[in-house]
Amino acid sequence: MPTIIIDPVTRIEGHSKITIQLDDEGQVQDARFHVTQVRGFEKLCEGRPFTEMPALMARICGICPTSHLLASSKACDDIMAVHIPETAEKLRRIMNLAQITQSHALSFFYLSAPDFLLGMDADPEERNIMGVVRKYPQMARDGIKLRQFGQRVLETLGGKRVHPGWIVPGGVSHPLEAAQRDAILAEIPEALRITRAALQWFKGQIEKFRVEVRSFANFPSMFLAMANDTNEFSAYNGWLRFIDANLNVVADHITGTDYLNYIGESCNDDSYLKSTYFKPLGLKDGVYRVGPLARLNMCQSAGTPQADEELAEFRELERHSVLSSFYYHYARLIEILFSVERMQTLLHDPEILGHNVRAHAAPNQYEGVGYLEAPRGTLIHHYKIDQNGLIESANMIIATGHNNQAINHGVLQVARQFVKGNKLEQGMLNRVEAVVRAFDPCLSCSTHAAGMMPLDIQLLDADGQMVDRLLR
Amino acid sequence: MTRALILGYGNPLRGDDALGLLAAERLRALVPEAEILTCHQLTPELAAALAECDAAIFLDAAAMGTPGTVSVTRLTPQPSAASLTHHVSPQALLELAQSLYGHSPRAYLITGVGESFAPQAPLIASFEPEQLEISTSPSEEFAAELTPAAAAALEKICRLVPELLANFPALW
Repeated sequence: MPTIIIDPVTRIEGHSKITIQLDDEGQVQDARFHVTQVRGFEKLCEGRPFTEMPALMARICGICPTSHLLASSKACDDIMAVHIPETAEKLRRIMNLAQITQSHALSFFYLSAPDFLLGMDADPEERNIMGVVRKYPQMARDGIKLRQFGQRVLETLGGKRVHPGWIVPGGVSHPLEAAQRDAILAEIPEALRITRAALQWFKGQIEKFRVEVRSFANFPSMFLAMANDTNEFSAYNGWLRFIDANLNVVADHITGTDYLNYIGESCNDDSYLKSTYFKPLGLKDGVYRVGPLARLNMCQSAGTPQADEELAEFRELERHSVLSSFYYHYARLIEILFSVERMQTLLHDPEILGHNVRAHAAPNQYEGVGYLEAPRGTLIHHYKIDQNGLIESANMIIATGHNNQAINHGVLQVARQFVKGNKLEQGMLNRVEAVVRAFDPCLSCSTHAAGMMPLDIQLLDADGQMVDRLLR
Repeated sequence: MTRALILGYGNPLRGDDALGLLAAERLRALVPEAEILTCHQLTPELAAALAECDAAIFLDAAAMGTPGTVSVTRLTPQPSAASLTHHVSPQALLELAQSLYGHSPRAYLITGVGESFAPQAPLIASFEPEQLEISTSPSEEFAAELTPAAAAALEKICRLVPELLANFPALW
């Protein structure tokens, strides 16, 4: 059977490939997304002291180390059975919002903007960030500025941009100083301006992407995100909630180890990334999505004025939940707006400069779980320790794992819509990659990537003979 | 006054790869008037900082060549076709500074050839439960240690950089 292989998928975090199976007429039969790297963090942390976990787990990724640091510290708080000081919680929340800001800015401006600005069918030589720089320098400057803002907040609080320390079991290691707070606050108006401009611009472009909106993993599914009593947007505190495509609550108040009753993990033969599913419905029917789209579908309000206005407009896209994964991009921008606004409120809170920022305790439980909304979705860290505080086992469920089934559905849907197997065109295959990009998957990239990644797509006929080839 | 930027980059957990980083840190005291930046790898955001200086020196470790040797290369802006997400060359950064902010500094790349890029020793060599300390980053004693060849290259770099900066723009 002829197969098209896209290897590696470009402009995403990490290494993956896509295979598209064609029938003899060149029609798409099946398509699969494979993650080709294995990291093994769950195994290699066994035997380490639990207090080492935040620093160790942060090494899972160079883009979202802060998210792992936070989820891991929350799991350790649980093991120590402490309530962290209020100031520490607020500081951690700022850290999480800064992380969401810089990661979303990277996804939107660096990775996906070339498709929006230059077109899905543009020459790949041109369709990259340098092409954006040449044609839309203001947009490129804005993207750099916004990401810089997010990173500067992380650096100010955590001491460095990548792999910051500072967040520790029990709170944070030292308080915020007034001068640091003022420096961050001074940059907020510009960050808000950039985000509003990007939103305004993106909304004006949506019409051009009607076919993509229709076919980019656009299907009814459940959604998972953190929720709380107020039904406001929540990225740090709360429990887990599943809703269906009509916004009905399917499962709620999931805390601690309860997640094991609701989330199943299944290994795949053709990918190192496990697929999760809503356990009560099984692997096939239990597909759900996480991340910006899930979070905006889940909350009733953002809780900040500008983001609330945007959220109201976003909701008008559909009667119930917004289902097209193309709108992940849109949701991401609204989340940046929310994050910057919320950071501003938190920084104006006089308590933010408080000096009580850390609770100290020895282990009080043999098990601990931490939930967090990372940029890409719900992140779960779950540890068990022995009587010496050493890790016996660790389980981590990472946003991209939750989305794995949905990404696969999306890849097939887009391939069926766009790929005509008799003659390959760059634009067809770019759309197959672009649906993956919409989820902004993070395949746990290491900080030191192995150089350049060329793209080689081969179309093979039933006898394995190459009939067409695209290189870039 | 010349606005100078020294940018050292590398991975402090990979032996001599830390050469550029450590040299930049050392230069903080030797050329106090220069702005010093250190990072694991070059990212597009650095273009903004580059656009605000007249002279820029990139410090990196090299894996090819005779360990201990130092090379100095003058850089000019050059567009890169790569997606600029994981790997940006100094030349592409200069190009980015030029096209986005209308200015790119005169620039040099100084590399020192390292000998070993093997990962450093484990972060915690021994563990005694009664001394359980909450730590968030590798302690100082496990910070990067260079091979003698790389350390010699670092010395050379630390002599070269002040000299280059003192002779701006004549040598640039």
